[in-house]
Amino acid sequence: MTDRIGIALLLGTILALAPDPSAAETYRWVDGQGNVTYSDRPPQSQDARTPAPETRPASALPAPMVTPASAAMPGPTAMPVPAAMPAPEARPMPEAKPAPELKAREVTAPEVKAPPAKVPQAKASVPPLAAARTSPTKVDELLELSGLKAQLVGLLSRIAGELRPAPGQMSTSDQASVDRVLGQGLRHEAVYALVRDAFRLQVDRPNLEATATWLRSPVARKIVALEVASSEPGTEPQVATYAASLKASPPAARRVELLQRLDWVTGAHETSADIVAAISRGVSTAVSAAGQPEQRLRPGQIEDRAAQVRARVNEGLREVRMTSMLYTYRSLGDEELMEYVLFSGSDAGRWYNAAMRKALVSALGKAVEQTSAELVRTVPLERWARAAMSAPPPVK
Amino acid sequence: MRSPTTIIVSRRTTGSRRVAAAIVLVLCTVLVAAAQERTAATLPPSDLGRAQAAFQAGRHTEALAAARRAADAAPTSVRALTARAGMAEFMGEFDEARAFYDRAAALAPDDAEVLYRTASFAVRVGDYDRALAQLDRLLALHPRHVRWLFQWAPTNMQPTLLRDNPSLEHIVQIKIDILMEKGDLAQARYLARAYSIVKTGENYCAHANEKSRSGAAREEVFTAFRLATLGQPDAADCIWWYGQWLADEGYVRLGRLMVIEGTRVTPAAGNKESGARYLRIRLGGKREVGKRAEQLFLIARQRYLRDGDIDGAVRLFDESIRLAPTFARPYIYRAIIASDLGDREGALTWLQRGLKADPDSWRTHRNLGKLFAELERYPEAEMHLRKTVQLFGDDAGGRLALARVLYAQGKYDDFAKEARTAVAFLANFKAPVPEVRDFLAKFDRWGPGAALPPAPDPDVIIGWNYD
Repeated sequence: MTDRIGIALLLGTILALAPDPSAAETYRWVDGQGNVTYSDRPPQSQDARTPAPETRPASALPAPMVTPASAAMPGPTAMPVPAAMPAPEARPMPEAKPAPELKAREVTAPEVKAPPAKVPQAKASVPPLAAARTSPTKVDELLELSGLKAQLVGLLSRIAGELRPAPGQMSTSDQASVDRVLGQGLRHEAVYALVRDAFRLQVDRPNLEATATWLRSPVARKIVALEVASSEPGTEPQVATYAASLKASPPAARRVELLQRLDWVTGAHETSADIVAAISRGVSTAVSAAGQPEQRLRPGQIEDRAAQVRARVNEGLREVRMTSMLYTYRSLGDEELMEYVLFSGSDAGRWYNAAMRKALVSALGKAVEQTSAELVRTVPLERWARAAMSAPPPVK
Repeated sequence: MRSPTTIIVSRRTTGSRRVAAAIVLVLCTVLVAAAQERTAATLPPSDLGRAQAAFQAGRHTEALAAARRAADAAPTSVRALTARAGMAEFMGEFDEARAFYDRAAALAPDDAEVLYRTASFAVRVGDYDRALAQLDRLLALHPRHVRWLFQWAPTNMQPTLLRDNPSLEHIVQIKIDILMEKGDLAQARYLARAYSIVKTGENYCAHANEKSRSGAAREEVFTAFRLATLGQPDAADCIWWYGQWLADEGYVRLGRLMVIEGTRVTPAAGNKESGARYLRIRLGGKREVGKRAEQLFLIARQRYLRDGDIDGAVRLFDESIRLAPTFARPYIYRAIIASDLGDREGALTWLQRGLKADPDSWRTHRNLGKLFAELERYPEAEMHLRKTVQLFGDDAGGRLALARVLYAQGKYDDFAKEARTAVAFLANFKAPVPEVRDFLAKFDRWGPGAALPPAPDPDVIIGWNYD
């Protein structure tokens, strides 16, 4: 029961990361009682007595000079300073921005639509039910029961699709190299191993056993089967058709409520956003490292970008997720869904979801970073840039 | 010559002042033109031109390098030496700036531009006596009758004189700044009135508020509040506000004095309490910061955020810390840089050093709490975020960060209490934080969920956010 990424939102978010500048001014004043108070708009009432512009300055705005009086002074005429040189008291210092624009040239990775991925496909099937047992459950068994391996196939296929340039944008040999790197770097077996290793670090035996018990239950088997089926590559058209049908026959309120609650107790929505951020971080890290030293992003800048991507994707995912959940669990009864909710809200369910979330985010981030690094080693950045430039403009 | 700070304006009047002012203007222009001609003869145009171009394009490190080459190539060019000094000053290389201003002054002791820049530089580094001496020398370059008018003409004649002699207005304004920075607000106000910078009966505070409301340029608003501070000694709100602005921008010394003054003159007990708190948690309490350390901090911040010059910024931040070890802000920026470079442990160390230097620094507690939270060290995060909101109860962003940390530790009741407090506070400022409301609604309905609650940092307290 892993989470599926809102892959449609990846395009244009992982790689198009320009921050949205905030132009809003903030005002602050002392009220009649002497309290310092604030607003994001100029005071409108009599109570608003001492409005202040925000500290974060507009980019074109000079900061006060060395002497505050000088800030108010007109340029000297009788005692001029050389026209183009910085006078010592000159104020060419726009106040520092907490989140500065990047100085380095934006490192662009291919931002192209891709054909279906050609990563090795595993058969996306329902994991076999383990026989009743008395010995401790192994992590591999738990993950097998969860359907992780099968769901990774679809997820990695989508990620590979996002990283692959569209046909014709690269030379045949480069395209072949890219396919080879993607096929190797995003093999589901390799990524599964990463997830498993990260998951092992968080094992809590009682919770693991309780989770395994749940996963062996008939309801959980059914749920895993549905999740695996909807994660298979190529299901997008069916989801789209289903989404369209919702306009004519909207879901029952109770159904929506149940799914919202499921999302709440599993944290699935947040996990999706975290995964997108991890992918962004991985791509940025790898691509930046391949650039010229003076153009490289600092770790803090990469984190800022990932946070921006996460924030942007987070809202967009909300609707996508609801549609996706409605589709995935469409054949599940409300009572069955309620069982899922109750397990997910239990101690074991909470542990399992938290552990899986950490493991997935860590593993996918690592896999994407390694694969991206190999991609730009194999096909130099300049050729990626050329490929990106030859891409048709996005359809509006 | 008497000290400029003790200029007494005579009430006597004279005739034909406008004619005299016009003559003075012509003489000044000739004086400057001659000075420029003298220096232009030895200009090394290439490097100086490159320095100018680089500066204008915002490539400040390159501009300084070019200015250095220009000065090295033409060690007797006053303009090249002054340019190098100016660039060095701009970049916080104060020793270099001082050395090259001195060289320029030695070559052209009566050069008005050099005198003016030297005075301005002296103010920047807090060498007020030197600044005043330079201003005296600058004034002495003016013809005798101009000086006479400047010193003795009645107040109602001064606007014309200053308008016709902008250099005189520079002198007055810098003197006012010096007086304010030295804490002699009474004398600064006297000078401002004597030179008609402010006039009795004007409601500058209302004007400043109006400018702010009407969306005037920040610089205009800033100037308007400064005038209110000078022209209306009882306008506590405006003085207080001016101090906050200065503090936000990093001018902590003058900001501190203005906040103290605003707190002193306000009749409201609540405002007095607010002012005292502001001083304690934002301006280091009784820990004063030297002017040079303050300016090094300001420039270091620019070199880091504007230029991306981490090495240069680090050097200046460290120098600022050496000069003012109890000044919290440079520690905070050293932590930001460490974090930016991926060294979170280093960032923690810098913030902890900052707290030792100033245990009541609200901003340091806040950053430390958030950093611990990012590292999932929740008990330590809780401790610092609790202190954050204890120091400044209106910090809704800090409170939401605390709420998140409480939630992460399973302290759900405490989480709900803090989150509701923040939401209620923000509702007063039309900052509804819908994501937090939504989270609380689900929490109330379904109990604890898997994801941590959002902890936005609403812009309503942005003025507090950039220490």
